[in-house]
Amino acid sequence: MNEKRHMGLQQLASFAETGRTFLGPVKSSKFIIDEERHESVLISSTVRLLESLDLTSAVGQLLSEAVQAQNNTYRTGTNTLLFLVGAWSSAAEECLHLGVPISLIVSVMSEGLDSCIEEVVSLQVPVYNVFDHMDNTKTFSGFETFSVSLGPFHQIPSDAGLIQKKHNLKDVASQSLTIYSLSGRPVKSPKLFRHQAKVEVDKDTSQTPQTLKNSLLADTCCRKSILIHSRHFNRTDNNQQISKPDGFLEQHGAATPKTYRCNDLVELEMGLSHGDHSSMKLVDNAIRLQYQNANMQQGNRTMPFMFDISRIFTYCLPGLPEAFSCVCPGYITVTSISSTTLIKELQNQPVRVVLIEGDLTENYRHLGFNKSANIKTVLENTKVQQDSSEELWINHVLQVLSKFNVNLVLAQGNVSDYLIEKCIHSKRLVIGSVNGNVMQAFAEASGAVQVAYVTQVNENCVGNGVHVTFWGSIPLDVVDMVDRMAIMLKTEGINLVTVVLTSPVTAHMQAKEDRFWTCAYRLYYALKEQKVFLGGGAVEFLCLSHLQILAEQSLNKRNQVCSGWLRNTSSWLASSLALYRPTVLKCLASGWHRYLSTLIYNTASYSSEFEASTFIQHHLQNAIDSGSPSSYILNECSKLNSGIFNSGISNKLEQIARVYDIVTPKIEAWRRALDLVLLVLQTDSEIITGLGHTQINSQVSEGFLFL
Amino acid sequence: MSRFEAKKPSLCKSEPLTSERVRATLSVLKGIVTSCYGPLGRLKQLHNGLGGSVCTTSQSSALLANLSVTHPILKILTTSMQNHVSCFSDCGLFTAILCCNLIENAQRIGLTPSTVIKLNKHLLRLCISYLKSEACGCRIPVDFSSTQILLCLVRSILTSKPASMLTRKEIDHISTLILRAFLLTIPENTEDHIILGESIIVPLKGQRVIDSTVLPGILIEMSEVQLMKGLPVKKSDSLKVALFCASLSGDLSDTGEGTVVVSYGVSLENAVLDQLLNLGRQLVSDHVDLVMCQKVIHPSLKQFLSMHRVIAIDRVGVALMEPLSKVTGSQPVGSLGSISPSSYGSVKDLCTAKFGFKHFFHLIPNEATVCSLLLCNRNDTAWDELKLTLKEPCVLLGGGCTETHLAAYIRHKTCNEPESILKDEGCNQTELHLITEAFCSALESLAASLEHDGGEILTDMKYGHFWSLQADSPSIVNWPDLLSRCGCGLYNSQEELSWSFLRSTCHPFAPQTFLPHEAAGSANYLTLDCFTAKLNGLQVAVETANLILDLSYVIEDKN
Repeated sequence: MNEKRHMGLQQLASFAETGRTFLGPVKSSKFIIDEERHESVLISSTVRLLESLDLTSAVGQLLSEAVQAQNNTYRTGTNTLLFLVGAWSSAAEECLHLGVPISLIVSVMSEGLDSCIEEVVSLQVPVYNVFDHMDNTKTFSGFETFSVSLGPFHQIPSDAGLIQKKHNLKDVASQSLTIYSLSGRPVKSPKLFRHQAKVEVDKDTSQTPQTLKNSLLADTCCRKSILIHSRHFNRTDNNQQISKPDGFLEQHGAATPKTYRCNDLVELEMGLSHGDHSSMKLVDNAIRLQYQNANMQQGNRTMPFMFDISRIFTYCLPGLPEAFSCVCPGYITVTSISSTTLIKELQNQPVRVVLIEGDLTENYRHLGFNKSANIKTVLENTKVQQDSSEELWINHVLQVLSKFNVNLVLAQGNVSDYLIEKCIHSKRLVIGSVNGNVMQAFAEASGAVQVAYVTQVNENCVGNGVHVTFWGSIPLDVVDMVDRMAIMLKTEGINLVTVVLTSPVTAHMQAKEDRFWTCAYRLYYALKEQKVFLGGGAVEFLCLSHLQILAEQSLNKRNQVCSGWLRNTSSWLASSLALYRPTVLKCLASGWHRYLSTLIYNTASYSSEFEASTFIQHHLQNAIDSGSPSSYILNECSKLNSGIFNSGISNKLEQIARVYDIVTPKIEAWRRALDLVLLVLQTDSEIITGLGHTQINSQVSEGFLFL
Repeated sequence: MSRFEAKKPSLCKSEPLTSERVRATLSVLKGIVTSCYGPLGRLKQLHNGLGGSVCTTSQSSALLANLSVTHPILKILTTSMQNHVSCFSDCGLFTAILCCNLIENAQRIGLTPSTVIKLNKHLLRLCISYLKSEACGCRIPVDFSSTQILLCLVRSILTSKPASMLTRKEIDHISTLILRAFLLTIPENTEDHIILGESIIVPLKGQRVIDSTVLPGILIEMSEVQLMKGLPVKKSDSLKVALFCASLSGDLSDTGEGTVVVSYGVSLENAVLDQLLNLGRQLVSDHVDLVMCQKVIHPSLKQFLSMHRVIAIDRVGVALMEPLSKVTGSQPVGSLGSISPSSYGSVKDLCTAKFGFKHFFHLIPNEATVCSLLLCNRNDTAWDELKLTLKEPCVLLGGGCTETHLAAYIRHKTCNEPESILKDEGCNQTELHLITEAFCSALESLAASLEHDGGEILTDMKYGHFWSLQADSPSIVNWPDLLSRCGCGLYNSQEELSWSFLRSTCHPFAPQTFLPHEAAGSANYLTLDCFTAKLNGLQVAVETANLILDLSYVIEDKN
């Protein structure tokens, strides 16, 4: 084991370097080119990046495992995870350079992060009663304005032409929104929308969204102010109310101390969109549809509304301009053009539906059924049997369907093409490969029971009242869908929302879908946990300054009681902990420093990372000097143009809404990142288990040792 | 046309241990196990080099299972370690390191193997009788009326698995859960001897460790679809249960080789399904409320059962069958014929529970000695580390103290009362001295393997405990300040002790025997080891080392 160099950590750092540009709201996309197959993909997220990279080394696999685990559990936080893995790998390596024993690095770093996690509780903002203001159309339109005025800027910052394009499409956009209201709930008249679209354009061209800004400012930020006349930092038990002494007035301008809370959905969505307003707007529409639906279903019962993300479904239509993206109640899918006449006939009446759990083919058997291969059927009769067994089966299926008067079959698996064809002839529509959640939604709304085989169908299994229509809002000739067409299936009160995503650039489709889900999950976790962090780097900045203070404190009093898991170890390490602690804490803090400067650099307000780093250093010094970093941060946050925590999007646009972050997924990403780094740090050799022989690749010799 | 090849002659090597290659591989193996030892041990990444999954571990069970060793001598070693681990699931590295040390030391002194083996055996007997005796100074009796010792034990084991990446808080939480799960398996009404129940570990990946929990009863994972169907209203205060180990999926039981010829129009599948539905009718008429099947239940049978308000749970899995049978008192049914009423059992209640993204049926038995430990972790590696760590409670002092204490005891014993040994074993004073030295230093360097960051190991001259000190420390005067506590945490450095470096030759001294009674209660955080596992580990190590030292020929069949 070479004390000064750690291959695993270096590998981690270099893997992580590839994801540097994904941090923050302005992401640069990457092209990944497969030289062998001449294929390329456009990616802009960590998960997709690691999917496309060849990570066969042990460390690479551990990294991609960690990212996958984070993604599977929270669907967000992977960019943070990847970046911190890199930053802390370098930090750990720096500690090795300085001669800190490995066990101490592990102990102090995990202790330091724990302490940070405790500290950032003070930046939590409670989220509650956000649905109380749901019917407030004013806030909704406010959001709309934002999405238009800010949307194009950071989606593709380099492509200025698109902004113009988007404005031109405004009318079309409002059309698609009209359809949404026509198809479902009479919420807003098309007129209102069109009117607003105009307003937006006006505002955009005149470049003065000042009035609006002010109103929103008053609405979101200064809901309640509490003035506490104390020089000391005041914190209540639940850490929800944090206030600032007013002695800093001359220094910080007219900032009033306030209680942070968030009880406005639009404010929350704005804060969690992290610049991606167009995706968040779709999420907003989806949650509103769900809310209305829930209200309608429940009547006057007062069950708290829960955002059910499993009942949101995305449907991608590449080739269309982004403005066609919209949200519809029900299920949207494509069928072959040959069923046009069938759908015309079906669309005026409610139809009966059967839900099939698996494939709808003759040979399909339920999971766990083992077919015996050695059974041979012989014909004893000489009577010539004309029908093949598949035809027999299809006839049987058709019999069952007509017996129960079923005109629509949804199958989770594949459907035999021949059957589809036969069914079209007998005025029945069969749709395969339907998502499980969609099936469940239809089961609930139509009263159908999912079955595995058509033979199981009885009266109790058949659902009622499904409406089939064309989904005709999009000029289909525009789309690259030669012989397919989009249809919409829905039932009264179905708890299912389809989000149609469009993108003129097909390569962008995946990224767009990913971004939608990222926004949706962020909102989901914020609502589920009923709390958010102040975002835009505020929590990370607090961690940074907290660690700096810890490091300085432990420099001053060497004989600190050590915590961490070394506490009950009697190893000499426990007693020499105090000696190394400041070094390790500083290295850990440098990881946060790198994170923040990259974040700020990526938002394009600084021309170099060095400049960004100086900027952070400046604020860090201020925060430490102020004696209480968390109150410094709260104060800075309330100064909307201070440029540190609200620089998230851009200073130029003078964006005013607060930025929020989700709590548990973020903290878990930190923990996962540090765990991975420390795991690799503690690893001293790789053991390759082969079939024939075993090799030990010790990192000292770079050679193999055989057993 | 068949061809015959002449058989190759067998390969015979004498004195295998003297070969340079064997020595080299042994020392590589020793290097691996030594570097993994203890809470500060280094981790190893195990993978197949072809992009297979990577396992990061320092646990003997994972290491030994994956090392494919080539030399017969190493095979003997790894196999006996694996046997030990499979029985005791602890002290695997301890055993492996001790065994390597003993072999190495024995080779160095150059006495005939028979003498070494004879005396090693004798010393082992001394160790065992001391550890088992009342006088033993490194054993703590477990007081079941307080959980403190048990908690310390569980915590020590968890702490010694660095790859599980648990924080202090998490270790405390998991330790408490493991202990609670263990206590739940002790039946309330006991007669002569206790039959412990079972703790079933339910893994939940990706969740926070702190979300782990213990529940009485059994958790069975269920699908989303099953969840949506909901549970029917309970009819009485307990549910009648039928448990199937046979597949109810409707496939034909193994038809063997050859072909089954069926005439057209006959459907074997339908025939089996009819049989299944008959079975369903019997279950309904017997008023069964809950049907559980290890394998798959045919969808049609499920539909039939749910129409009659019978809950059907399938794909329970073989691991849960025994606890399910135990908890419900039902006999697993292995055929599709009629069911004898005596095979039915019962449970108190069934409800659903959600943890993370997973939904579970929660089976609440009438008498609970079975519980489910829902263990969450961030990654697979850590989960595997945790899963292997459930213990029975008898404790020895850990942190290296037992080893150094034992070495001091043996050294003192053979030095002061060598007569009986010399007489029994028929050897001379020098031989005894050399072999005792080899044996004791094997124990001591085992303890020293706990150090991975270049520190020094000391031992005190009163208790013979293990103390660790930073390398290049200043004068001896400051030692009491530098060494706060001994390895196991029992003794404090402030009580007028004198120390010496572990590997320096010092005059044999008698370590204090008879642990004071209040010792167990005094320290809050003791590092403890499982008594039976360690005792067996000691035996296995010495015996395996003896076996390997005794080898004079390796005969390989090259065909």
